[in-house]
Amino acid sequence: MKQRIGVYICHCGGNISDYVDVEELGKMFHQEENVVVSKDVMFACADSNQKDMVSDIQANNLDAIVVCSCSPKLHLHTFKNVAIRAGLNPSNYVQVNIREQCSWPHSDRPREATVKAAGLIRAGINRVSYSESLENIELSVKKSALVIGAGVSGMKAAIDLARSGNEVFLIEKDYFVGGRVAQKEILFPTNQNGKEVVAALYNEMKKFPNITIFTGATVEKVSGSLGNFNVDIKVKPRYINPNADKKAVKRAMDECPVNVHDDFNLGLIERKAIYKNYPEALPDVPVVVAEALKDATDFTGKFASTLNLNEEAQTLSLIAGSVLVTTGYDHYQPKEGEFGYKTISNVVTLPELNRLMEMNSGKLVYNGKKINSVAFIYCVGSRQTKGDNKYCSRQCCTSTIHTSLQLKEKYKDIQTYHLYRDIRTYGKQELIYAESSKQGDLYFKYEEKEMPVVASPSLSKGKGKDKVLIKVKDYLTAKKEMEIEADLVVLVTGMVAREDATHISELFKIPIGRDKFFNEIHPKLKPVETVIKGVYIGGTCQGPKNVSESVQSSLAGASKITALLKSGTVSVDPIIARVNADACTWCGKCSDVCDYTAIKEVLFGNKHVAGVNKAVCTGCGICAPVCPENAIEIAQYTDNEIESMIDGFMMDFDIKEKGAGETEDVLTPPSGGGGQAMKEYPQVWREILAGMTDEKNTIPEIAANSRLASELVTFHLMTMNKYGVVVPAGMDEKETYYYYKQPPKSPKGGF
Amino acid sequence: MSRVNPKFATELSKYGSDDFNACFNCGNCTATCSLSTADSSFPREMIRYATLGLEDDIKASLKPWECYYCGECSAECPRQASPGELMMSLRRYLTAQYDWTGFSGLMYKSLHVSLAAFILTFVGVIVFVASVGFELEKMMHFGHLFEMIAIGTVGLLILMPNVARMWYFTILKPKVKVPLMKYVKSMGELFIHMFTQKRALGCDDNQFRWFEHFILVIGYLSLLFTTVVLNWFGSPYLFVIILGYVMSAIVFVVTIDFVSSRIKQKKQVSKHSQPSDIFFVVWLFLMGLTAFMVRLFIDLDILETNKWLYIFHLTVLVQWALIIVPFGKWTHFLYRSFAMYFAKLKEK
Repeated sequence: MKQRIGVYICHCGGNISDYVDVEELGKMFHQEENVVVSKDVMFACADSNQKDMVSDIQANNLDAIVVCSCSPKLHLHTFKNVAIRAGLNPSNYVQVNIREQCSWPHSDRPREATVKAAGLIRAGINRVSYSESLENIELSVKKSALVIGAGVSGMKAAIDLARSGNEVFLIEKDYFVGGRVAQKEILFPTNQNGKEVVAALYNEMKKFPNITIFTGATVEKVSGSLGNFNVDIKVKPRYINPNADKKAVKRAMDECPVNVHDDFNLGLIERKAIYKNYPEALPDVPVVVAEALKDATDFTGKFASTLNLNEEAQTLSLIAGSVLVTTGYDHYQPKEGEFGYKTISNVVTLPELNRLMEMNSGKLVYNGKKINSVAFIYCVGSRQTKGDNKYCSRQCCTSTIHTSLQLKEKYKDIQTYHLYRDIRTYGKQELIYAESSKQGDLYFKYEEKEMPVVASPSLSKGKGKDKVLIKVKDYLTAKKEMEIEADLVVLVTGMVAREDATHISELFKIPIGRDKFFNEIHPKLKPVETVIKGVYIGGTCQGPKNVSESVQSSLAGASKITALLKSGTVSVDPIIARVNADACTWCGKCSDVCDYTAIKEVLFGNKHVAGVNKAVCTGCGICAPVCPENAIEIAQYTDNEIESMIDGFMMDFDIKEKGAGETEDVLTPPSGGGGQAMKEYPQVWREILAGMTDEKNTIPEIAANSRLASELVTFHLMTMNKYGVVVPAGMDEKETYYYYKQPPKSPKGGF
Repeated sequence: MSRVNPKFATELSKYGSDDFNACFNCGNCTATCSLSTADSSFPREMIRYATLGLEDDIKASLKPWECYYCGECSAECPRQASPGELMMSLRRYLTAQYDWTGFSGLMYKSLHVSLAAFILTFVGVIVFVASVGFELEKMMHFGHLFEMIAIGTVGLLILMPNVARMWYFTILKPKVKVPLMKYVKSMGELFIHMFTQKRALGCDDNQFRWFEHFILVIGYLSLLFTTVVLNWFGSPYLFVIILGYVMSAIVFVVTIDFVSSRIKQKKQVSKHSQPSDIFFVVWLFLMGLTAFMVRLFIDLDILETNKWLYIFHLTVLVQWALIIVPFGKWTHFLYRSFAMYFAKLKEK
């Protein structure tokens, strides 16, 4: 129990003291048991007052302090630091919010506001008297980071993490690095080849001995927590003998008799069962689809020394201090028949077109026909007001227009049609939109309620019978119905969360949003942090982004991790669950409800009890109420503290009405009785009413008459208006200001 | 249902405008246009038709003629798509479409064809004057006769059928039902606009240009009347002689301003000049000037010794009557006034 408590009650200039009688409260709590210092102060947060508080604490040997002012969101740390400067443990400090919770919301009932403030302050005093001195929890952390996903985001982050001296494990599900960027022939705005960017990053990574890359690897199991994540990964075999001669491997690739589905080229062509995603793909070792070669015994026999078809997957255990998830996105896959996808042969998606363009150099050929005109349908799988993907995929407008420019540049005579809902080429990307329309690309605006219809070529007759016919109600031409003939229809598909994102989410407990992407804590203030300490997200696993934005966010994550691991220890808040081992009977209920798997069964002497992982526990408190033995509690929220707060709040107070007896100054209540007597309204309201000399006045007039600042008048008039003390009375002649007047007195009303 | 035809833009660019693809449909042009109304709004709609190549809609539209090219839309356009010039090009395109001979289109699209026509007519004149042995009296007699015959034939064989085609494209083909009485009642509209270009006054800050143009039209028509009906060159009456002097002077003095502004290119309206625009104003200037000089030489009695002047005048006259009037920019005089007439018919 703390017995030398200091209480500071803040006027906040008038924000509090205009309604709450802080002087009275200051005097009242002076008599309170255990309270040594009780003061009302003009601004508690002012430097001078902070200095006074420090000297008070030291002079009076205070062991706890309570500051009654604004929200702890604003000044919790200010006063914690005061405590620290005065040599007090910051846990022995409690902030009571009498501004947002008393003076502001109850400005119409000053007396009640004062009573409520008194209750809250006493609750705060009671709580602080039970407060314990808590120390931050220091965790030792391993200076290593696990980066999941070796796309551009993951590789850039890995390089930055390695450069800052961390051990980096980069794991990639595919057998080759590069992710989606490797599938793009030309990137906007630098016009670099995606593969070159990937190769440059890979070669840079190779310079760092502290980066270990695992390809064909997936996360299998995660345990541990911030500072020491234990991660099991499974590395799938490549089935190539590591000692095999490179030439023999090359020969095996060339001679492979079996073809399989080509995922890298989105199934547009087939590839050999011994393959690399593309000739320059890295790491420079091909992969064997062992399953497909089962029957090709002649071939496998011939290359028996090169291939190692009996190779097995390995499971490796890694220890990482922190984790960066950069698993990327999937392309939205249109449903069969969506704008003719899969039902009409000339309909492809934008990623498919990008692959087609890379495969066709001289002229663009699809299904054996030369393509002379391309119609893009935007927002396929994005911005569905009724569907799952309500978001805008952000990068597709630019990507499409850039593709359209590339089409013209690469194949000369290609006419493009753009059926869009809104063009969102934000920032510098706007320039290519202008370029595109100048080169003669035609834009049509459609609305979601009137989608374009793609008709099969067999339906169109005569000259254009090979062409697809698109009908669209063009909102740019007064909703006129247009018919567009095109050789190829390209569906501009958006970004969706990876199909296996849920797997990663379950392993690391990363929350998933309604859009199925991973959720950060706060989009602006904690944009790459997750609620799991030590787990960060970057790139498109978090939501649609373009390449630059993806890299920006993954680098932000890398910086966060570097800062976190730098000192080798991490200090975390001590407000976590604690188990009373004597009372605990290990029923496991607390462990069941814990969202963070922070509670596990441990041995205490010979007894099985609940053990809290200090690094994982967030202090959410869900375990405390479910314990049948009342053996678990949260630091700073112990039963003693909470119950004493309730008791304190429920106590009766004898608060005198301020101004009682000053009868000559009493104003009659404007709304005619019912509520409070006007004498209880703050002085400033009376001054404002006194300044309303005429029938009606504007704010500047009232301010001039009552010699108050016009901001103050504006601020108070809003509240006065709300409670009918004044009412607006039209605008002045210049239509610049509103008039206010006192309402006519009526027996009804009140509040 | 309209079929999109992206190739139309290439076709239209031959008539002058080629920036309109830059348009991103903001509608600033329509907002700034002082002639555009809620019922009949342009130029954005026409730009859209042109971009998408909706030829039938363009041919059925009278809107290009409703624009008098103040150029504010081009000045306001955030994409520098020159909507004003597009409207001008559409007028050239429509002129070519209305012309059943197809010769207008050839001349608009090819400078070579135009030059060839001018050279051919020049050769024709030389051959003729040589055939009459350069006798001034015969030449002048022919000249007067030619004027009357040319007006009759060009009007009957080319201009009237073309106006009929314009009526077909804009009224009959789009199936606009117009009661016969309306044709009669609306007739006033035709003549008011033909002789006053009243609508051009609706353009912002356009009073001077309108006045200039109005004087020029009156001057030109009066000169035509004086030379053809009153036989100015042969007339002994002082009133006729002075009238001719005044009218021809008006024509060439006013056209000096038109020509010089096309050279200076300061105003939006004169920034983009096609050969057809240049031919029109220059030949009008030459018409006025040579007619003035011919009569002056007659009065000074020195024409006999300066027959070249009359041959020059005759050449300008023939080229005017056979090239510029039927196939050149002269036709806007007709189409603009008929467009206002047809627009009245289309009103509900």
